[in-house]
Amino acid sequence: MAELRFFDCNTRIGRCSTPRPEHFLDAAGLLAEMDCAGIERALVHHAWSVEWDPHEGNQALLRDIADEERLHPCFAALPSATRELPSPRDFARQVRQAHGAVRLFPTQHSYTLDDVSVGHFLDALSFERVPVLIDIGQTNWRDISQVLARHPALNLIVLNTYYRVDRNLYPLWDRFGNLHLDCGSYGVHRGIEAVCQRFGAERLLFGTDLPIHEVGGPMALVTYAAISDDDKQLIAGGNLRRVLGVSD
Amino acid sequence: MTDTFVDACRLGQALAGELVIDAHAHMGPWHNFHIPHNSARGMVERLDQLGIDACVSSPHVAIGPCYREGNRQVMAAADEYPERIIPYVTINPNYPEAETREEIEHWHSFARIKAFKIHPACHSYKVDGPGYGLMFEYAREHSVPVLSHSWAGDSQAGATLLSRMAGEMPNVTFIVGHAASSWSMIDEACGEAQGKDNVVLDLTGSQLLYMALEKMVERVGAAKILFGSDIPFIDPAPGLGRILMARLSDDDKRQILGLTTKRVFGL
Ligand SMILES: [Zn+2]
Repeated sequence: MAELRFFDCNTRIGRCSTPRPEHFLDAAGLLAEMDCAGIERALVHHAWSVEWDPHEGNQALLRDIADEERLHPCFAALPSATRELPSPRDFARQVRQAHGAVRLFPTQHSYTLDDVSVGHFLDALSFERVPVLIDIGQTNWRDISQVLARHPALNLIVLNTYYRVDRNLYPLWDRFGNLHLDCGSYGVHRGIEAVCQRFGAERLLFGTDLPIHEVGGPMALVTYAAISDDDKQLIAGGNLRRVLGVSD
Repeated sequence: MTDTFVDACRLGQALAGELVIDAHAHMGPWHNFHIPHNSARGMVERLDQLGIDACVSSPHVAIGPCYREGNRQVMAAADEYPERIIPYVTINPNYPEAETREEIEHWHSFARIKAFKIHPACHSYKVDGPGYGLMFEYAREHSVPVLSHSWAGDSQAGATLLSRMAGEMPNVTFIVGHAASSWSMIDEACGEAQGKDNVVLDLTGSQLLYMALEKMVERVGAAKILFGSDIPFIDPAPGLGRILMARLSDDDKRQILGLTTKRVFGL
């Protein structure tokens, strides 16, 4: 097998409220970890956008990764009604130009995924082909199902699902081709193999959850999956490059 | 440190010439979620893909509703895949003592008791309760290791309780299950394992915390830590990959991958 080109869809930088001594907090630390593990690129969000304020966190993210070509911004977003962020159309355009993505924290930031709250915003992101990431701990499968049904062109990436999810996931995958899964914590026994056979490798993305979780586990899930090398390349990084519009 | 283990993980290559044993395995379906290829055959195929020589197994039905059915399943699987599937004998302390005695005597008569597995959480029973009495009696008499499920804040079988019991039974090795499942569990389990020869720590779990394995090795040494995965409850690749990619010496990785288990189980 040729060396895989890993593009991590799930990383964080920034000073946070509960760091551990071994956690890195800045872009240099993330890049050092990526070099050590053999990860080419990463999509990264800022702890401030989660724990302080999406606008401040997004600005800090842009400053912190300004010169780092290997790091792609993942911005936090909010319902547009409170006008805390630029208008959906401007925001979506800026994110697309930065080859970035948007991450939603409905539980932490106190809003619902209902179309009344975020419908316009998700339309704008769909239009600009900006992928949307969401931790399963911030939502539920019923809301995800509704978002997928109402926004069929939106690339949705669900994060940190762990392994007890197939009975929720498979019915959605039977219907929605735009649902993607961060497979870093998808520790289903031979699960990647099963998903590739039934739904195709396009549904899965490599993600680590650095700096909270380590790299070896998510990496081994991909490298040791009983699937073709082409499928491994898609999961390792090809799928994320595609949805972000990164050409190489 | 060479890059043998790191390269194997990056390239998805089965390790060659290294002893790798998964000391915490199950088998079969489970009520709570879908598990593809969960049969003994499906598991052995997975072991082959990962270069894992053997696993020590207690079927899901054993830690769930029927330990006797589980013990029969794993013995049959061990007969079908000798050296690949090593059986635990599982005990459910909620059944009458006479039944436990019969089960232990049965497997003893075939010389098939290599290790016990208990799940005080699933069976909702405290590990030092009388229902486990006969099993521990046998374990002391025959120096048989015991793997117990454990968790942070676990009132049935926390690391501190297991370690206290280990102090009372110096020839029984207590394997503390899921010892790396959270930072509070790591702190408790490492604190308890320090200085106790017969307390070892199992890495099984889905939370692969950044730098946790390195911290554990620093605190208790690799000879007290063993690889377990929960296969097929959880795929073994992540647990294996964490060890292969860790910032540890090759010798430490060898201990964790197989040598600790070889020693503890007398394989
Ligand atoms: Zn288990």
